[in-house]
Amino acid sequence: MPHRTFEEVVLPHLDAAFNYARWLTKSEADAEDVVQDAYVRALRFFSSLRSDDARSWLLTIVRNTWYGRFPRATAANQTTVFDDMTHDRPDESLDPEALVLQQQAVEKVQRAVQELPPDSREVIVLRELEGLSYKEIAAVVGIPIGTVMSRLARARERLLAILGPSATAMGEHS
Amino acid sequence: MMCLEAGRLLDAFVDNELGPAESADLQAHLASCAGCRQRLVDRESLGRLVRHLPYYPASDQLRAKVVRISLRPRFNRSLLAWAAVLALAASLGGFVEVVRIARARHVVETTASVADEVVGDHVRALRDHHLFDVQSSDQHTVKPWFLGKLDFSPPVEDLSSSGFLLVGGRLDHVAGQPVAALVYQRRLHPINVFIWSGASRTAASDTRSIRGFQVRHWIRNGMSFWAVSDLNDAELGEFMHALQR
Repeated sequence: MPHRTFEEVVLPHLDAAFNYARWLTKSEADAEDVVQDAYVRALRFFSSLRSDDARSWLLTIVRNTWYGRFPRATAANQTTVFDDMTHDRPDESLDPEALVLQQQAVEKVQRAVQELPPDSREVIVLRELEGLSYKEIAAVVGIPIGTVMSRLARARERLLAILGPSATAMGEHS
Repeated sequence: MMCLEAGRLLDAFVDNELGPAESADLQAHLASCAGCRQRLVDRESLGRLVRHLPYYPASDQLRAKVVRISLRPRFNRSLLAWAAVLALAASLGGFVEVVRIARARHVVETTASVADEVVGDHVRALRDHHLFDVQSSDQHTVKPWFLGKLDFSPPVEDLSSSGFLLVGGRLDHVAGQPVAALVYQRRLHPINVFIWSGASRTAASDTRSIRGFQVRHWIRNGMSFWAVSDLNDAELGEFMHALQR
Protein backbone atom coordinates (compact mmCIF):
# COMPACT_ATOMS: atom_id res chain seq x y z
CA MET A 1 0.00 0.00 0.00
CA PRO A 2 2.45 2.65 -1.12
CA HIS A 3 2.03 6.36 -0.41
CA ARG A 4 -1.27 6.05 1.40
CA THR A 5 -1.41 7.72 4.74
CA PHE A 6 -2.70 6.44 8.03
CA GLU A 7 -5.59 8.94 7.89
CA GLU A 8 -6.66 7.74 4.46
CA VAL A 9 -6.43 4.05 5.26
CA VAL A 10 -7.31 3.60 8.93
CA LEU A 11 -9.35 6.62 9.99
CA PRO A 12 -12.39 5.74 7.80
CA HIS A 13 -12.93 2.60 9.90
CA LEU A 14 -13.37 4.49 13.16
CA ASP A 15 -17.13 3.82 13.39
CA ALA A 16 -16.60 0.11 12.79
CA ALA A 17 -13.87 0.07 15.44
CA PHE A 18 -16.06 1.86 17.95
CA ASN A 19 -19.17 -0.22 17.29
CA TYR A 20 -17.17 -3.42 17.73
CA ALA A 21 -15.52 -2.13 20.91
CA ARG A 22 -18.84 -0.89 22.25
CA TRP A 23 -20.42 -4.32 21.86
CA LEU A 24 -17.37 -6.05 23.32
CA THR A 25 -17.06 -3.81 26.38
CA LYS A 26 -20.78 -2.99 26.77
CA SER A 27 -19.66 0.43 27.99
CA GLU A 28 -19.30 3.76 26.22
CA ALA A 29 -16.31 4.88 28.28
CA ASP A 30 -14.42 1.57 28.05
CA ALA A 31 -15.05 1.40 24.31
CA GLU A 32 -13.58 4.90 23.86
CA ASP A 33 -10.49 3.89 25.84
CA VAL A 34 -10.05 0.70 23.85
CA VAL A 35 -10.41 2.47 20.51
CA GLN A 36 -7.91 5.17 21.48
CA ASP A 37 -5.37 2.58 22.59
CA ALA A 38 -6.02 0.58 19.45
CA TYR A 39 -5.34 3.61 17.24
CA VAL A 40 -2.07 4.31 19.07
CA ARG A 41 -1.02 0.72 18.39
CA ALA A 42 -2.32 0.79 14.83
CA LEU A 43 -0.25 3.86 14.13
CA ARG A 44 2.84 2.18 15.53
CA PHE A 45 2.27 -0.92 13.41
CA PHE A 46 0.99 0.87 10.32
CA SER A 47 4.19 0.18 8.40
CA SER A 48 3.60 -3.55 8.87
CA LEU A 49 0.09 -3.46 7.33
CA ARG A 50 0.53 -5.57 4.23
CA SER A 51 -2.97 -6.50 3.21
CA ASP A 52 -5.54 -4.22 1.57
CA ASP A 53 -8.06 -5.03 4.23
CA ALA A 54 -7.40 -2.24 6.71
CA ARG A 55 -10.76 -2.73 8.40
CA SER A 56 -10.11 -6.34 9.43
CA TRP A 57 -6.59 -5.36 10.44
CA LEU A 58 -7.88 -2.54 12.65
CA LEU A 59 -10.63 -4.70 14.17
CA THR A 60 -8.00 -7.31 15.04
CA ILE A 61 -6.04 -4.66 16.91
CA VAL A 62 -9.21 -3.45 18.67
CA ARG A 63 -9.91 -7.01 19.74
CA ASN A 64 -6.37 -7.60 21.02
CA THR A 65 -6.43 -4.30 22.89
CA TRP A 66 -9.70 -5.22 24.54
CA TYR A 67 -8.49 -8.67 25.52
CA GLY A 68 -5.33 -7.14 26.89
CA ARG A 69 -7.17 -4.60 29.02
CA PHE A 70 -10.22 -6.47 30.22
CA PRO A 71 -9.87 -10.02 31.46
CA ARG A 72 -12.69 -12.19 30.17
CA ALA A 73 -14.13 -12.79 33.66
CA THR A 74 -14.80 -9.11 34.33
CA ALA A 75 -16.12 -8.60 30.83
CA ALA A 76 -18.68 -11.34 31.37
CA ASN A 77 -19.78 -9.94 34.72
CA GLN A 78 -20.33 -6.39 33.64
CA THR A 79 -23.79 -5.07 34.21
CA THR A 80 -25.76 -4.35 31.12
CA VAL A 81 -27.10 -0.88 30.58
CA PHE A 82 -29.86 -0.08 28.12
CA ASP A 83 -29.75 3.66 28.05
CA ASP A 84 -28.90 4.10 24.46
CA MET A 85 -31.45 3.25 21.85
CA THR A 86 -30.85 6.45 19.94
CA HIS A 87 -29.18 4.77 16.99
CA ASP A 88 -31.96 2.29 16.52
CA ARG A 89 -33.54 2.32 13.11
CA PRO A 90 -37.34 1.92 13.26
CA ASP A 91 -38.98 0.36 10.31
CA GLU A 92 -41.18 3.00 8.71
CA SER A 93 -43.36 0.57 6.83
CA LEU A 94 -44.91 -0.70 10.08
CA ASP A 95 -48.04 0.71 11.72
CA PRO A 96 -47.59 2.19 15.23
CA GLU A 97 -48.69 -0.92 17.06
CA ALA A 98 -46.43 -3.21 15.07
CA LEU A 99 -43.64 -0.69 15.53
CA VAL A 100 -43.93 -0.95 19.31
CA LEU A 101 -43.95 -4.73 19.13
CA GLN A 102 -40.92 -4.69 16.88
CA GLN A 103 -39.15 -2.27 19.20
CA GLN A 104 -39.80 -4.62 22.11
CA ALA A 105 -38.52 -7.58 20.14
CA VAL A 106 -35.34 -5.69 19.19
CA GLU A 107 -34.75 -4.74 22.82
CA LYS A 108 -35.15 -8.34 23.78
CA VAL A 109 -32.64 -9.39 21.13
CA GLN A 110 -30.24 -6.71 22.31
CA ARG A 111 -30.43 -8.03 25.86
CA ALA A 112 -29.96 -11.58 24.58
CA VAL A 113 -26.90 -10.61 22.50
CA GLN A 114 -25.39 -8.79 25.50
CA GLU A 115 -25.82 -11.92 27.57
CA LEU A 116 -23.96 -14.11 25.09
CA PRO A 117 -20.41 -15.08 26.04
CA PRO A 118 -17.90 -12.72 24.36
CA ASP A 119 -16.72 -15.21 21.72
CA SER A 120 -20.31 -15.76 20.54
CA ARG A 121 -21.24 -12.09 20.83
CA GLU A 122 -18.37 -10.90 18.69
CA VAL A 123 -19.09 -13.22 15.76
CA ILE A 124 -22.72 -12.04 15.74
CA VAL A 125 -21.65 -8.36 15.79
CA LEU A 126 -18.98 -8.84 13.11
CA ARG A 127 -21.34 -10.79 10.87
CA GLU A 128 -24.67 -9.02 11.34
CA LEU A 129 -23.67 -5.43 12.11
CA GLU A 130 -20.35 -5.13 10.28
CA GLY A 131 -21.30 -7.50 7.47
CA LEU A 132 -17.91 -9.21 7.48
CA SER A 133 -17.43 -12.39 5.46
CA TYR A 134 -16.49 -15.64 7.23
CA LYS A 135 -12.97 -15.20 5.92
CA GLU A 136 -12.70 -11.70 7.36
CA ILE A 137 -14.14 -12.82 10.71
CA ALA A 138 -11.62 -15.68 10.77
CA ALA A 139 -8.83 -13.13 10.28
CA VAL A 140 -10.09 -10.76 12.98
CA VAL A 141 -10.78 -13.40 15.62
CA GLY A 142 -7.83 -15.61 14.65
CA ILE A 143 -9.76 -18.85 14.20
CA PRO A 144 -10.31 -21.17 11.21
CA ILE A 145 -13.31 -20.49 8.93
CA GLY A 146 -14.98 -23.73 10.05
CA THR A 147 -14.90 -22.46 13.63
CA VAL A 148 -16.50 -19.17 12.52
CA MET A 149 -19.35 -21.19 11.07
CA SER A 150 -19.86 -23.35 14.16
CA ARG A 151 -19.60 -20.36 16.52
CA LEU A 152 -22.22 -18.46 14.55
CA ALA A 153 -24.48 -21.51 14.54
CA ARG A 154 -24.08 -21.93 18.30
CA ALA A 155 -24.67 -18.22 18.95
CA ARG A 156 -27.85 -18.21 16.87
CA GLU A 157 -29.19 -21.39 18.46
CA ARG A 158 -28.63 -19.78 21.80
CA LEU A 159 -30.36 -16.54 20.81
CA LEU A 160 -33.31 -18.47 19.44
CA ALA A 161 -33.52 -20.47 22.67
CA ILE A 162 -33.41 -17.30 24.79
CA LEU A 163 -35.92 -15.44 22.65
CA GLY A 164 -38.47 -18.14 22.11
CA PRO A 165 -40.88 -18.30 19.17
CA SER A 166 -42.85 -15.08 19.84
CA ALA A 167 -39.90 -12.71 19.57
CA THR A 168 -38.51 -14.21 16.40
CA ALA A 169 -41.95 -14.21 14.84
CA MET A 170 -41.68 -10.39 14.99
CA GLY A 171 -38.76 -10.64 12.64
CA GLU A 172 -41.02 -12.07 9.98
CA HIS A 173 -43.03 -8.86 9.73
CA SER A 174 -40.12 -6.47 9.60
CA MET B 1 -28.71 -35.35 3.14
CA MET B 2 -29.60 -35.85 6.80
CA CYS B 3 -30.96 -33.17 9.14
CA LEU B 4 -27.69 -33.17 11.08
CA GLU B 5 -25.70 -32.27 7.97
CA ALA B 6 -28.35 -29.74 6.91
CA GLY B 7 -28.14 -28.08 10.34
CA ARG B 8 -24.40 -27.77 9.95
CA LEU B 9 -24.79 -25.92 6.63
CA LEU B 10 -27.79 -23.77 7.52
CA ASP B 11 -25.86 -20.78 8.85
CA ALA B 12 -23.48 -20.67 5.91
CA PHE B 13 -26.52 -20.85 3.63
CA VAL B 14 -28.24 -17.93 5.38
CA ASP B 15 -24.98 -15.97 5.18
CA ASN B 16 -24.43 -16.71 1.47
CA GLU B 17 -21.20 -18.48 2.29
CA LEU B 18 -22.10 -21.86 0.83
CA GLY B 19 -20.71 -23.16 -2.46
CA PRO B 20 -23.20 -23.91 -5.28
CA ALA B 21 -23.03 -27.70 -4.88
CA GLU B 22 -23.66 -27.71 -1.15
CA SER B 23 -26.31 -25.05 -1.62
CA ALA B 24 -28.18 -27.24 -4.11
CA ASP B 25 -27.92 -30.28 -1.80
CA LEU B 26 -29.27 -28.27 1.10
CA GLN B 27 -32.16 -26.86 -0.93
CA ALA B 28 -33.11 -30.36 -2.05
CA HIS B 29 -33.23 -31.41 1.60
CA LEU B 30 -35.24 -28.33 2.60
CA ALA B 31 -37.82 -29.11 -0.06
CA SER B 32 -38.55 -32.41 1.64
CA CYS B 33 -38.07 -31.55 5.32
CA ALA B 34 -40.52 -29.27 7.11
CA GLY B 35 -38.44 -29.31 10.31
CA CYS B 36 -35.34 -27.89 8.64
CA ARG B 37 -37.48 -25.40 6.69
CA GLN B 38 -38.75 -24.08 10.02
CA ARG B 39 -35.17 -23.79 11.30
CA LEU B 40 -34.31 -21.76 8.22
CA VAL B 41 -37.32 -19.47 8.75
CA ASP B 42 -36.32 -19.00 12.43
CA ARG B 43 -32.80 -18.05 11.45
CA GLU B 44 -33.95 -15.60 8.80
CA SER B 45 -36.35 -13.93 11.25
CA LEU B 46 -33.62 -13.76 13.85
CA GLY B 47 -31.30 -12.21 11.27
CA ARG B 48 -33.82 -9.46 10.49
CA LEU B 49 -34.20 -8.65 14.21
CA VAL B 50 -30.48 -8.69 14.88
CA ARG B 51 -29.84 -6.28 12.04
CA HIS B 52 -32.10 -3.79 13.82
CA LEU B 53 -29.74 -3.73 16.78
CA PRO B 54 -28.15 -0.36 17.53
CA TYR B 55 -25.00 0.46 15.59
CA TYR B 56 -22.80 2.66 17.76
CA PRO B 57 -20.89 5.25 15.75
CA ALA B 58 -17.88 7.00 17.29
CA SER B 59 -18.65 10.28 19.05
CA ASP B 60 -17.26 13.55 17.71
CA GLN B 61 -14.97 13.82 20.76
CA LEU B 62 -13.51 10.38 20.09
CA ARG B 63 -13.07 11.25 16.43
CA ALA B 64 -11.17 14.38 17.37
CA LYS B 65 -8.94 12.42 19.75
CA VAL B 66 -8.19 9.78 17.16
CA VAL B 67 -7.38 12.41 14.55
CA ARG B 68 -4.91 13.90 17.03
CA ILE B 69 -3.37 10.47 17.55
CA SER B 70 -2.99 9.96 13.82
CA LEU B 71 -1.23 13.31 13.44
CA ARG B 72 1.14 12.55 16.27
CA PRO B 73 4.22 11.28 14.44
CA ARG B 74 4.50 14.21 12.12
CA PHE B 75 3.77 17.14 14.37
CA ASN B 76 3.64 15.97 17.89
CA ARG B 77 6.63 13.77 18.40
CA SER B 78 8.21 16.46 20.49
CA LEU B 79 9.66 19.18 18.35
CA LEU B 80 12.36 19.54 20.96
CA ALA B 81 13.66 16.04 20.34
CA TRP B 82 13.79 16.73 16.63
CA ALA B 83 15.55 20.01 17.23
CA ALA B 84 18.12 18.14 19.30
CA VAL B 85 18.56 15.54 16.58
CA LEU B 86 18.92 18.26 13.96
CA ALA B 87 21.49 20.09 16.06
CA LEU B 88 23.43 16.86 16.48
CA ALA B 89 23.14 16.16 12.78
CA ALA B 90 24.44 19.61 12.00
CA SER B 91 27.40 19.07 14.29
CA LEU B 92 28.13 15.69 12.73
CA GLY B 93 27.50 17.24 9.37
CA GLY B 94 25.13 14.75 7.85
CA PHE B 95 21.54 14.15 7.02
CA VAL B 96 22.36 10.45 7.07
CA GLU B 97 22.79 10.71 10.81
CA VAL B 98 19.28 12.12 11.26
CA VAL B 99 17.80 9.24 9.34
CA ARG B 100 19.89 6.72 11.25
CA ILE B 101 18.86 8.09 14.65
CA ALA B 102 15.20 8.35 13.70
CA ARG B 103 15.27 4.78 12.45
CA ALA B 104 17.09 3.53 15.54
CA ARG B 105 14.50 5.19 17.71
CA HIS B 106 11.69 3.65 15.72
CA VAL B 107 13.33 0.21 16.05
CA VAL B 108 13.61 0.60 19.83
CA GLU B 109 9.95 1.58 20.12
CA THR B 110 8.72 -1.15 17.80
CA THR B 111 10.76 -3.82 19.58
CA ALA B 112 9.36 -2.72 22.94
CA SER B 113 5.77 -2.75 21.77
CA VAL B 114 6.06 -6.11 20.02
CA ALA B 115 7.62 -7.56 23.20
CA ASP B 116 4.73 -6.14 25.18
CA GLU B 117 2.22 -7.60 22.80
CA VAL B 118 3.69 -11.13 22.73
CA VAL B 119 3.64 -11.18 26.54
CA GLY B 120 -0.01 -10.08 26.38
CA ASP B 121 -0.75 -12.89 23.91
CA HIS B 122 1.02 -15.40 26.15
CA VAL B 123 -0.98 -14.31 29.20
CA ARG B 124 -4.25 -14.29 27.29
CA ALA B 125 -3.72 -17.76 25.85
CA LEU B 126 -3.08 -19.12 29.35
CA ARG B 127 -5.97 -17.27 30.93
CA ASP B 128 -8.46 -18.33 28.26
CA HIS B 129 -7.12 -21.90 28.24
CA HIS B 130 -6.62 -21.47 24.53
CA LEU B 131 -3.03 -22.57 24.10
CA PHE B 132 -3.59 -24.60 20.98
CA ASP B 133 -5.85 -25.14 18.01
CA VAL B 134 -3.86 -28.30 17.29
CA GLN B 135 -2.71 -30.31 20.27
CA SER B 136 0.04 -32.81 19.57
CA SER B 137 3.59 -33.67 20.59
CA ASP B 138 4.30 -34.83 17.05
CA GLN B 139 5.92 -32.18 14.87
CA HIS B 140 4.58 -34.00 11.79
CA THR B 141 1.05 -33.29 13.00
CA VAL B 142 1.62 -29.70 14.12
CA LYS B 143 3.58 -28.45 11.11
CA PRO B 144 1.08 -29.48 8.41
CA TRP B 145 -1.75 -27.94 10.46
CA PHE B 146 -0.37 -24.48 9.58
CA LEU B 147 -0.48 -25.21 5.84
CA GLY B 148 -2.81 -22.83 4.05
CA LYS B 149 -3.30 -20.74 7.20
CA LEU B 150 -0.12 -18.69 6.85
CA ASP B 151 1.97 -17.47 3.96
CA PHE B 152 5.08 -19.16 5.35
CA SER B 153 5.89 -22.51 6.91
CA PRO B 154 7.01 -22.25 10.54
CA PRO B 155 9.78 -24.63 11.63
CA VAL B 156 8.38 -27.13 14.13
CA GLU B 157 11.14 -29.06 15.91
CA ASP B 158 11.16 -32.00 18.28
CA LEU B 159 13.18 -30.67 21.24
CA SER B 160 12.39 -33.49 23.67
CA SER B 161 16.08 -34.50 23.81
CA SER B 162 16.79 -31.01 25.22
CA GLY B 163 13.98 -31.35 27.76
CA PHE B 164 11.37 -29.23 25.99
CA LEU B 165 8.18 -31.03 24.99
CA LEU B 166 6.13 -29.87 22.06
CA VAL B 167 2.47 -29.66 23.13
CA GLY B 168 0.74 -27.94 20.23
CA GLY B 169 0.25 -24.88 18.09
CA ARG B 170 -2.31 -22.28 17.19
CA LEU B 171 -2.84 -19.18 15.08
CA ASP B 172 -2.39 -15.92 16.94
CA HIS B 173 -1.95 -12.25 16.06
CA VAL B 174 0.91 -9.87 16.64
CA ALA B 175 0.84 -6.32 15.30
CA GLY B 176 -2.37 -7.16 13.50
CA GLN B 177 -0.72 -9.93 11.47
CA PRO B 178 -1.52 -13.63 11.74
CA VAL B 179 1.41 -15.52 13.26
CA ALA B 180 2.22 -19.11 14.17
CA ALA B 181 2.29 -19.79 17.90
CA LEU B 182 4.03 -22.99 18.99
CA VAL B 183 3.68 -24.22 22.54
CA TYR B 184 6.42 -26.14 24.28
CA GLN B 185 6.65 -27.14 27.90
CA ARG B 186 9.37 -27.78 30.44
CA ARG B 187 8.13 -29.20 33.74
CA LEU B 188 4.96 -27.15 34.33
CA HIS B 189 6.18 -24.05 32.51
CA PRO B 190 4.61 -23.41 29.11
CA ILE B 191 6.63 -21.59 26.46
CA ASN B 192 4.94 -19.75 23.63
CA VAL B 193 7.01 -19.18 20.50
CA PHE B 194 5.54 -16.66 18.07
CA ILE B 195 6.84 -16.90 14.53
CA TRP B 196 6.17 -14.79 11.47
CA SER B 197 7.91 -14.05 8.24
CA GLY B 198 9.83 -10.81 7.94
CA ALA B 199 11.55 -8.77 10.58
CA SER B 200 8.76 -6.25 11.34
CA ARG B 201 11.30 -3.46 11.85
CA THR B 202 12.29 -4.71 15.26
CA ALA B 203 15.81 -5.22 16.59
CA ALA B 204 17.52 -8.37 15.29
CA SER B 205 17.64 -9.87 18.76
CA ASP B 206 16.30 -8.95 22.16
CA THR B 207 16.19 -10.24 25.71
CA ARG B 208 13.98 -8.68 28.32
CA SER B 209 11.76 -9.30 31.29
CA ILE B 210 8.17 -7.98 31.33
CA ARG B 211 5.78 -8.40 34.28
CA GLY B 212 7.69 -11.45 35.49
CA PHE B 213 7.86 -13.14 32.09
CA GLN B 214 11.09 -13.71 30.19
CA VAL B 215 11.19 -12.76 26.53
CA ARG B 216 13.77 -13.77 23.92
CA HIS B 217 13.71 -12.61 20.36
CA TRP B 218 15.79 -13.59 17.38
CA ILE B 219 15.61 -13.62 13.59
CA ARG B 220 16.48 -16.67 11.56
CA ASN B 221 15.93 -17.63 7.92
CA GLY B 222 13.94 -14.46 7.31
CA MET B 223 11.52 -15.22 10.15
CA SER B 224 10.99 -13.41 13.44
CA PHE B 225 10.92 -15.55 16.58
CA TRP B 226 9.63 -14.39 19.96
CA ALA B 227 9.71 -16.84 22.88
CA VAL B 228 7.82 -16.02 26.09
CA SER B 229 7.73 -18.01 29.31
CA ASP B 230 7.73 -17.85 33.07
CA LEU B 231 10.90 -19.98 32.96
CA ASN B 232 14.06 -18.21 34.13
CA ASP B 233 16.16 -16.46 31.53
CA ALA B 234 18.90 -19.11 31.50
CA GLU B 235 16.42 -21.87 30.68
CA LEU B 236 14.67 -19.80 28.05
CA GLY B 237 18.11 -19.12 26.55
CA GLU B 238 18.70 -22.86 26.51
CA PHE B 239 15.39 -23.27 24.70
CA MET B 240 16.38 -20.65 22.12
CA HIS B 241 19.67 -22.43 21.43
CA ALA B 242 17.90 -25.79 21.13
CA LEU B 243 15.50 -24.31 18.58
CA GLN B 244 18.33 -22.69 16.63
CA ARG B 245 20.32 -25.91 16.40
